[in-house]
Amino acid sequence: MIWRILVCMMAVLAWTAPIAQAQDGPLRIEITEGVIEPLPFAVPAFVPETGDSAQMGQQLAQLVAADLIGTGLFREVPASAFISGVNDFNAPIQYADWKAVNAQALITGAVAVSGDQMTVKFRVYDVFSGAELGSGLQFAGTTSGWRRMGHKVADAVYSRITGESGYFDSRVVFVSETGGKADRQKRLAVMDYDGANVQYLTGSESIVLAPRFSKSGDRVLYTSYETGFPRIFVLDVGSVQRRVLESQDGTMSFAPRFHPNGQTVVYSLSQGANTDIYTMDINSGQASRLTSAPSIETAPSYSPDGSQIVFESDRSGTQQLYVMSANGGEPTRISFGEGRYGTPVWSPRGDLVAFTKQSSGRFHIGVMRLDGSEERLLTASFLDEGPTWAPNGRVIMFTRETQGESGRSTLYSVDITGRNLRPVRTPEGASDPSWGPLQN
Amino acid sequence: MHAGHVISGAGHIGLIGWLLFGGAFQAEPLPFQATDISVISTEDYEALVAAQQAPQSGTEVAQPEAPAAEDSAATPPPAETEVTPPPPPQSTEAPEPETVPEVPQPTPPVAVVEDSPPEQPSPPADVAVLVPQVSNRPVPRPSERVAPEPVAPPPPEAQLAPVEQEAVAPAETGETVQEPQEAAAPEEAATEIVTEAEQPSSAPNASPRPPARPTPPVRTAVAEPAPTPDPAPEPAPETPPASSSSTQDAVDAALAEALGGATSDPEPAAPTGPPLSAGEKDALRVAVSSCWNVGSLSSDALRTTVVVSVSMTPDARPVTSSIRMTGSSGGSDGAAAQAFEAARRAIIRCGASGYNLPSEKYGQWQEIEMTFNPERMRIK
Repeated sequence: MIWRILVCMMAVLAWTAPIAQAQDGPLRIEITEGVIEPLPFAVPAFVPETGDSAQMGQQLAQLVAADLIGTGLFREVPASAFISGVNDFNAPIQYADWKAVNAQALITGAVAVSGDQMTVKFRVYDVFSGAELGSGLQFAGTTSGWRRMGHKVADAVYSRITGESGYFDSRVVFVSETGGKADRQKRLAVMDYDGANVQYLTGSESIVLAPRFSKSGDRVLYTSYETGFPRIFVLDVGSVQRRVLESQDGTMSFAPRFHPNGQTVVYSLSQGANTDIYTMDINSGQASRLTSAPSIETAPSYSPDGSQIVFESDRSGTQQLYVMSANGGEPTRISFGEGRYGTPVWSPRGDLVAFTKQSSGRFHIGVMRLDGSEERLLTASFLDEGPTWAPNGRVIMFTRETQGESGRSTLYSVDITGRNLRPVRTPEGASDPSWGPLQN
Repeated sequence: MHAGHVISGAGHIGLIGWLLFGGAFQAEPLPFQATDISVISTEDYEALVAAQQAPQSGTEVAQPEAPAAEDSAATPPPAETEVTPPPPPQSTEAPEPETVPEVPQPTPPVAVVEDSPPEQPSPPADVAVLVPQVSNRPVPRPSERVAPEPVAPPPPEAQLAPVEQEAVAPAETGETVQEPQEAAAPEEAATEIVTEAEQPSSAPNASPRPPARPTPPVRTAVAEPAPTPDPAPEPAPETPPASSSSTQDAVDAALAEALGGATSDPEPAAPTGPPLSAGEKDALRVAVSSCWNVGSLSSDALRTTVVVSVSMTPDARPVTSSIRMTGSSGGSDGAAAQAFEAARRAIIRCGASGYNLPSEKYGQWQEIEMTFNPERMRIK
């Protein structure tokens, strides 16, 4: 009997094995391993459509290339390797020539200058597919704003290739620092994301800290010791007009951030030895308390939808990150690693929180998910702090301070994957960056 | 495939269980044979050994002792006794003598002697056949049927009928109702019979040097077209020049069709030929992976798995126009589009010079479906 069953099983196996191995339909394979390397692109000088726009065309191409290279996601094919140039914006693309130099993306553009007005148009091509990515676009503006137009071109190229919005036509407000550590002077400044076009918003008479852009980028909240105590000011970027927010005497208010609606401010208020989180309506000045623990709660940051707040607290004995409702309530701890966590900032995408972590005598910039999972430390140095998100949630800018009496604060940016760490060139020392939104 | 796994697992489990508990491994005593031994003393052993020792070489050989004249111990062999033969049977009646049949005396052959030697068959002389340098293309053999007037070969789709008639299809909107009928044509006929002997020989005068071995056959399962006496091919109608890509695609399609695989079939035939080995699949996977650059993908696109199908030319190059996304999961439509673009770039870039695929298995990889899953590439 056993032999009979065995023979039957063997027969079934012999019959089913070829069926299992037979291929039904097309050949199917799964690709799970790829490469992460910059995508090579070519951007010839933009075609001058007017007599005096050749130099502008060259500058625009260089700016677009610099923006894309700065992301770490792209690599420029040098012009010396070009087989064929682009002398006519509407001429058909010689894809074979660009394939030969391994340019996977090709950006062509044209510029026309008329007086102080200029127009820029461009197209993006997927060389290996032999097709245009999207449609051609054109921007018009003044010649003094040529950098913004170049950034917009780069944003469009970045978006068409990566699928996410760019961040090149954005500004960063920060604290410009001069002098040594003993007599350091600080003042608010705003610049392009790449460090160009620095404009100062305040003088250096008093210490200013932690400027924060509003969601629309038209106003800035910051803390100033102008009155002797830290007070929160709101500054209109366009008119550089500022005013102090309501506060109680004998208290210190600091670490402000805008609610996404632009009308509410969340901040920390120290009264005695206790620090708690409050919100205030900017127009009415009415404040409400969100936390009442005897510990220190500070550095609040709204979620993109404004429904939640992430902040730091030492209520557990060490400095950790917590999330609570925007209306207060019992917070939930989200950080459980070794060391101390601080300055949390909610990602514009809403999926991550950037933070500063101090562990084993070093400071790190890291990110984690809202449940505390997938914590990744992106940097490590003597002092890294104060992260701020790029508008697309792909890049983080932060302050890095070197050690010693002659230590200098510098702004750095890093991709959320931990790659492409690079300094942001500023004319002076810089700290406390706050990345504004994409400009209209 | 799942059922196969289940059946395979059940079979293996049953087999292992039977081996463990079914008594296959129960030890049974092996058959053995007992041998009686006897114990001897040292002296006896030495005596035996001494007796079995090899003879030592010596110059003198001892004479054997003469046997004793009378040895009581030695029993003489019994003397041989003569065996008396049995008496011959005695017949009671003498048989009558039988008649002796007459035996024909064989006639000895008479040798014929001739002075001239017989003629030896001579071997056929080697004849060199002159063949043309190039084999003539076979011409259609004329019909052997004889008719007053030659009749052209019937169309291939027409049936043979005494009267020619055209095919009529049921009109969709026609007012007149006409019964459908198939095309018919009279059988091919000629006015005279032309035998093969009267045909000019198409045998080659000389064997041309065999050409170099062509590239490996693309589809072994497709039979070579028989050298039927097809009429001379008509020149293909000229088509207006199209774009380079469409021309290339048309050439690829025509090539594939000529080789037996029509790329434009709406429902491709089931793969034929031996399946790709795991190593061949891995080679393709590695090749595509080396060009799959996810560095420029957004976070959303890095969470999107896309399934991309592509048709391949016989020289293992992807047909660019055939690359399409057949499915996606895990991301938005925009993310899927970006992930698809990255996948398409990978397929085109690394397939520009052709993938390393066995051409004899073209039927297996003529259509490929690749799933690009970036799960492992998110945090690297």
